[in-house]
Amino acid sequence: MNRDPYAVALSNALTEIQTAYPDINHSFIFTQDNTIISQDPKIDQRTMNRIMESFEELKEKTKPIGDIQNFQFSTKTGDFTLFAVKDMYIVFETSENSDKNQIYAIRKVILPTILKVVDTIAASEVVAENHLQTEKPPKELTVDLLSGFFAGDAVQIDLETLLEIIKTDDQNEDDDILENIDHVRIETFRGDSTLCKVKEISDPNFKGKNLVRIPEKICRTLEIQKGDLVKVKPLL
Amino acid sequence: MPENESTTDFEDLQEKLLSLKDQEGLIGYILRSSKSASIDLKDPSKIIDYAILSSAVFGESQKIASVLDLDEIDSIVIESDEIKLLSMTINGFNLSVFMEKVVDHNEIFNSLT
Repeated sequence: MNRDPYAVALSNALTEIQTAYPDINHSFIFTQDNTIISQDPKIDQRTMNRIMESFEELKEKTKPIGDIQNFQFSTKTGDFTLFAVKDMYIVFETSENSDKNQIYAIRKVILPTILKVVDTIAASEVVAENHLQTEKPPKELTVDLLSGFFAGDAVQIDLETLLEIIKTDDQNEDDDILENIDHVRIETFRGDSTLCKVKEISDPNFKGKNLVRIPEKICRTLEIQKGDLVKVKPLL
Repeated sequence: MPENESTTDFEDLQEKLLSLKDQEGLIGYILRSSKSASIDLKDPSKIIDYAILSSAVFGESQKIASVLDLDEIDSIVIESDEIKLLSMTINGFNLSVFMEKVVDHNEIFNSLT
């Protein structure tokens, strides 16, 4: 797990939570390898180290019952709560009159919700980044009109141009993709687009001229005419 | 405290524990005084592990309480994915009750104190 976004989110959340809940006297976050991610300034390093050492001892001894998810004790002068979140531990020390329901809500609702949001944002950033890296820019081609009885409903692009659109670093992959392309998206610069079947240009006079031959009825739908530039993207 | 009173307290506590023993979800308990211990666990093979755990829970909790300047501990709860441990000191006796996580440990605590 990339800890940084979670650590930042939890750290900020803890700061705000402590402001909103003054019953929380001290808090800090540490990881399974005892790295402190966040702490409030009222608790010193030595205290945190001693707490983590005790917890480490306890973790050893609790192996027969499994990994500790929650550890808490109450006294007449305050309560101690340590709970696991992802691969981190969060510690609260609260005053003796603290609202236990509030602490429970922070543990079970607020912090998990924050983490879920961070999860979603992190995942969508990864998808967007991957998409950005793999998506090729659409090819701009000049419109030629296909009219007449045999125009059909497929656009025509010549083979070399199609290869250029789909080109990857792997020749075999290119051949596979070429075999499986049967639709392209035609998009105007106004933003209108349509999905069309695609065939290789049959008339040799139109090959090698960066053209896309489009049936008249599709041109009417997209409000384009011969000579206009359109963007062409394969549907893979 | 007179020895017979202390023995009576120990026996009273054992009786309460016996009455809880068959409650659904209860795995067992370890009750210790300075001189003796009473252990009742559904799985006897876990006695040593659970005894070590029980002792560590009291010890390490007290260390943390001292570091944070907290008072004497009333009760301790430790939860793993499936098991919960409730530890407390009653009349000078250290008691650890092991239960499945779904059991309401507050009810157990109230019935023993």
